[in-house]
Amino acid sequence: MLSRVANLIYWTARQLERAENTARIVDVNAQLVLDLQSRQAADDPKSWEPLVYVSGGEEKFFELYGEKVTERGVVEFMLFDRRNPSSVLSCISHARENARCVRDLLAAEVWETLNTFYLKLKDDDFTRYAQLGSSEYLNRVKAQIQLFYGVYESMMPRGHEWWFFQLGRHLERADNTSRILDVKYYMLLPDVAAVGTALDMIQWGSVLRSCSAFEAFRRSRRGLLSLERVVDYLLRDPTFPRSIVHSVAQAESALNQIVDGSHHLIGNRASQLAAHLRVDLENTDTHAVIADGLHEFLDTIQVRLNDVHLAIQETFIDYPTAQAKILA
Amino acid sequence: MESMNDLMERQRTADQTFVNRGVTFTVYSDTAGTEKIFPFDLIPRIIPAHEWAHLERGLTQRMEALNLFLADIYGEQRILKEGIIPTEMVTTSKHFRQEMVGLAVPRGLFVHINGTDLIRDESGQYRVLEDNLRTPSGVSYVLENRQVMKRVFPNMIRDYRLWPVETYTSDLLALLTRLAPAHVPEPTVVLLTPGVFNSAYFEHSFLARQMGIEIVEGNDLVVENDRVYMRRSDGLAPVHVIYRRLDDDFLDPTVFRKDSLLGVPGLVNAYRKGNVALCNPIGTGVADDKAMYYYVPRMIKFYLGQDPVLENVETFLSSQRDDLRYILDHLPKLVVKSVNEAGGYGMLVGPHSTQAQIEEFRAKIIDNPRNFIAQPTIGLSRCPSVCDTVIEGRHIDLRPYILNGESIKIMPGGLTRVALRKGSLVVNSSQGGGSKDTWVLADDNAPFPTPTASGPEKLIV
Repeated sequence: MLSRVANLIYWTARQLERAENTARIVDVNAQLVLDLQSRQAADDPKSWEPLVYVSGGEEKFFELYGEKVTERGVVEFMLFDRRNPSSVLSCISHARENARCVRDLLAAEVWETLNTFYLKLKDDDFTRYAQLGSSEYLNRVKAQIQLFYGVYESMMPRGHEWWFFQLGRHLERADNTSRILDVKYYMLLPDVAAVGTALDMIQWGSVLRSCSAFEAFRRSRRGLLSLERVVDYLLRDPTFPRSIVHSVAQAESALNQIVDGSHHLIGNRASQLAAHLRVDLENTDTHAVIADGLHEFLDTIQVRLNDVHLAIQETFIDYPTAQAKILA
Repeated sequence: MESMNDLMERQRTADQTFVNRGVTFTVYSDTAGTEKIFPFDLIPRIIPAHEWAHLERGLTQRMEALNLFLADIYGEQRILKEGIIPTEMVTTSKHFRQEMVGLAVPRGLFVHINGTDLIRDESGQYRVLEDNLRTPSGVSYVLENRQVMKRVFPNMIRDYRLWPVETYTSDLLALLTRLAPAHVPEPTVVLLTPGVFNSAYFEHSFLARQMGIEIVEGNDLVVENDRVYMRRSDGLAPVHVIYRRLDDDFLDPTVFRKDSLLGVPGLVNAYRKGNVALCNPIGTGVADDKAMYYYVPRMIKFYLGQDPVLENVETFLSSQRDDLRYILDHLPKLVVKSVNEAGGYGMLVGPHSTQAQIEEFRAKIIDNPRNFIAQPTIGLSRCPSVCDTVIEGRHIDLRPYILNGESIKIMPGGLTRVALRKGSLVVNSSQGGGSKDTWVLADDNAPFPTPTASGPEKLIV
């Protein structure tokens, strides 16, 4: 596959995954503030501010919306603002542009699904969101993205066009899960007195819900919700599809598929970095991580995920021509 | 056909098929919606076998002469030395490439694809309006139109006994493959597109898919040691033949336009070394310069010793003093064309223009006479067309596609473009034109077709 095309597919997947996670985070937060109303008003800035840190877009947010954080501002910024490159609309718009460039490679239905979704989404705004209610609105957004995945999964041949998509999707997911965990942890941590209380349960429940992990966690019979158990589940559960270790393992296996049959690419840097990261996560002691500082740990994970991303670019996309293997 | 309603229903079916298949083109000047459907008119244009035989003879002759002309211009330049064409007509042509003089080209072919635009004049005679020797477009519509017609009128197509058009992409692929350097057993052919925002991108991706070749953009290709490779995720794959849909100017920023981001640095050197073939070759544009068109009948005489089978349209060159005076005196009656433009841009249709537009062109012509030609306004032939709810005559032209490979092959028929705006003479897709399927009959003497279906043909889509 052409490097340019592989990169477009990889980014289409990343953008869609990011859009889905952003929608999920807003959704869970909107529900969480309802549960916390006894303590603070639903539109309290403190209830919304942490969200802008999730995507790492806080500088942009304060530049565009000023220092006063409002529910409306955050929702607009995260869902509809094209000036925020990580907003749902920006992501879907970029994904559509990328897909348009490789349209001849995609099944007609794949392109149409994304195009139709974008055309529906592009004129939406906070008013529309408020009219439908956050839950209903965001469920629709998530359902559209899931629909796209479904069509892609059922239509695309399992060649490079599939594996580069899987690679982008799972790397993005690993990164997003680490960010959700990081921000929630930061947000919830100061409340030491609340440990074990009903409030604590609600909050840790909401962390799981942000990753659609609540029910899966329950079924895994890990017992009561607690900081350590939740963190361990999202970091290291080998079966849950949004856990960091599972996402990294998926990305690693996509890389293995991509280089399958290319001897000169076996042992490439991207595959190695992904494998090391997975092994390190498998061997992580969550208790020790929390004791040493979860934030620092997650920071390292994000840096290492970015290293995998850079290695992918160097290995498959932007490799120096002079050193590249000339194929027979 | 039962009624007008039935026809309308079929027209809607056809339109919907084009929408679903995404058969679109891009309009540069239209900022609102960049993608449009090329309007399709359901009523086919029919060319009898004897008429087609005549056209084939004329187009083959013309292709032979143009190839010899290009070989000569980039070789000995006999036609200039013998004074048949003034030397400055060639050297001042925007598309003449000094770099190509003396260069051997694969298989001795200096041009591979020509899309010649034909019209019929008031007397019903076919005449050549212009040649398109650079990157003629539109052939994908011919193929798609026939697909749609086969869905909408399957029985009628069988009864009329048409020549099929489907072999075009196989013929093109064979032509391209044959251009590869001789030592390469299984050459890699790619289609080079300016990108997804080009007006003809649909066609590029369509042809690439039909031929099963990779569609690449300039930055997908790299040149190392004068060899061309495409950048794949697993490494550099050698490329031997490039079907480029990019004008010379943009091909290689180290040789032609320095600001081109669409091309491939080093490509021209690889081409000169014979490591990669280009289709069309570099420099063909000198022969489709509209002023050079004037001389094509003389080329036919000079190289082949024959009279042209197909006549040109009467043409005045504003670079010649007598012609210039005539042009300036008769502007309201003439069609004036800029010699290097295509797609219906940069032209004046005298009878349909305001005094201000005419004066604007007058100034331009006086300023740069080499840049313009003029032709009388010709009453293009018309063909019945579906216009809203009635059938009316609309002006048409015809662009056959001529392939110059192992032999000269002409796709039976070609693109019939129709000016759907009432009275309009401009058939270009970028200017509100549409298209029709072109039916070349296999045998004029076949008994008049008896309908295959017992009753009127039913819609089976």
